[in-house]
Amino acid sequence: MNGPLALIAELTHRCPLHCVYCSNPLELQARENELDTATWLRVFGEAAAMGTLQVDLTGGEPLARADLEQLVAGARAAKLYVNLITSGVGLNETRLDGLVHAGLDHLQLSFQDIEETAADEIAGVRAHAHKLALAVLVRRRNIAFTMNVVVHRRNIDRVEQMIALAEEMNVQRLEIANVQYYGWALENRAALLPTRDQLERSIESVKAAQERLKGRMRIDFVVPDYYATFPKACMGGWGRKMILLDPAGRALPCHSAGVIPGLQFDSVREHPLAWIWEHSPAFCKFRGEQWMPEPCRSCDRRTQDFGGCRCQAFLVAGDAATTDPVCSLAPARSLIDGVIQQVNSNREPQPSTSTQPALTYRTNPATTAATRKRGA
Amino acid sequence: MSVPSLESRPRLAPGCRLSESSPDQVFLLMPEGALRLNETGLKIAQLCTGDHSLQEIVEHLTEQFGGADRQQVERETVNFLTRLHERRVVDFG
Repeated sequence: MNGPLALIAELTHRCPLHCVYCSNPLELQARENELDTATWLRVFGEAAAMGTLQVDLTGGEPLARADLEQLVAGARAAKLYVNLITSGVGLNETRLDGLVHAGLDHLQLSFQDIEETAADEIAGVRAHAHKLALAVLVRRRNIAFTMNVVVHRRNIDRVEQMIALAEEMNVQRLEIANVQYYGWALENRAALLPTRDQLERSIESVKAAQERLKGRMRIDFVVPDYYATFPKACMGGWGRKMILLDPAGRALPCHSAGVIPGLQFDSVREHPLAWIWEHSPAFCKFRGEQWMPEPCRSCDRRTQDFGGCRCQAFLVAGDAATTDPVCSLAPARSLIDGVIQQVNSNREPQPSTSTQPALTYRTNPATTAATRKRGA
Repeated sequence: MSVPSLESRPRLAPGCRLSESSPDQVFLLMPEGALRLNETGLKIAQLCTGDHSLQEIVEHLTEQFGGADRQQVERETVNFLTRLHERRVVDFG
């Protein structure tokens, strides 16, 4: 059996931002549960031995880990390609040089918007100006640099300005990703899902820019799957390409698999990574085609989209083993259509926030009384 | 996009490099991706250091594949590198 191509290492759930669409689970892992340096380094070696090529160091905010430089160096020594997914908060020039020196290959810097006020409103904290300054420093280093912007109803009309900012910063790659509705984002779906008109305009803008910037900047665009005809191949298929470790070392097939009832997640504290990949019941549960219901089971697309997303099936239709409800052939598609209809029957989105649904901000991991006392 | 000139000196873009884990199967690693290289792809990628012109790379490959049609080697090399350039994996200096 082939090993995973990529290991997603959620080093911590701690984060200075409070983004309303955070992909972390609603129940966050506390600092005292985080894996230590040695365990992460062991896991990187085990992953490389299985043929894994890439590691994504992410969080939360991975910079919240004081040992991040050591982790980068260890992953690189294990011969992995090292991606850092960061908000940039907590990163200055000295620390950046430390990470580059440790062997960082690629830094992905997230932006919440191109307008400072709007960006800071989504993040729940002031960070935008710092990111702009940081981008200049990153660009001068010999590493790959991606600007990432998450888009939704409140900012998707500014896609062209986002592209202009990426051009100004001279990044190699721009990722414009529509919010996917899990975790915190699902809580805020009524406020975040763009209208069909908005989406179509943004697709036109991106297509034109992709053509114009070919060879200078690569633009990856992730559309909201609610508007798609067929589901996305979530994570490249359950247990096929990727393995995610949460800060406590629990291995999950994707960011939000924890929402699916009845799944048990094995930990790298107790098992080797290779055992988990091959034998952990959570990974076996939806691997392959045995679990598939109709219409997936007899569908020609089952080898392309693998039945779509199990978490979305559970979150929207209440059954993790049903066809992803965004699929036009899914028995539960009407539930998605209902949401789309509601969003599109409203008047054009107003710039004033007072007329829009309220936002729920991501919190931080709960701390025990003892930690709180120490921290204070 | 225009075709790169034979004088240009292709190089792997920042953060793009060859994998080191297994000598039997080398990948071209890039942000959030990897390209499995065949023997020819590997030879080309190894020459993308900024030190060799496209012309020199084509000549070198033609020589390596003794008796290969130079025109065809050039066409295939340019195609390969242009695709990598569009993915921002190769720069033409």
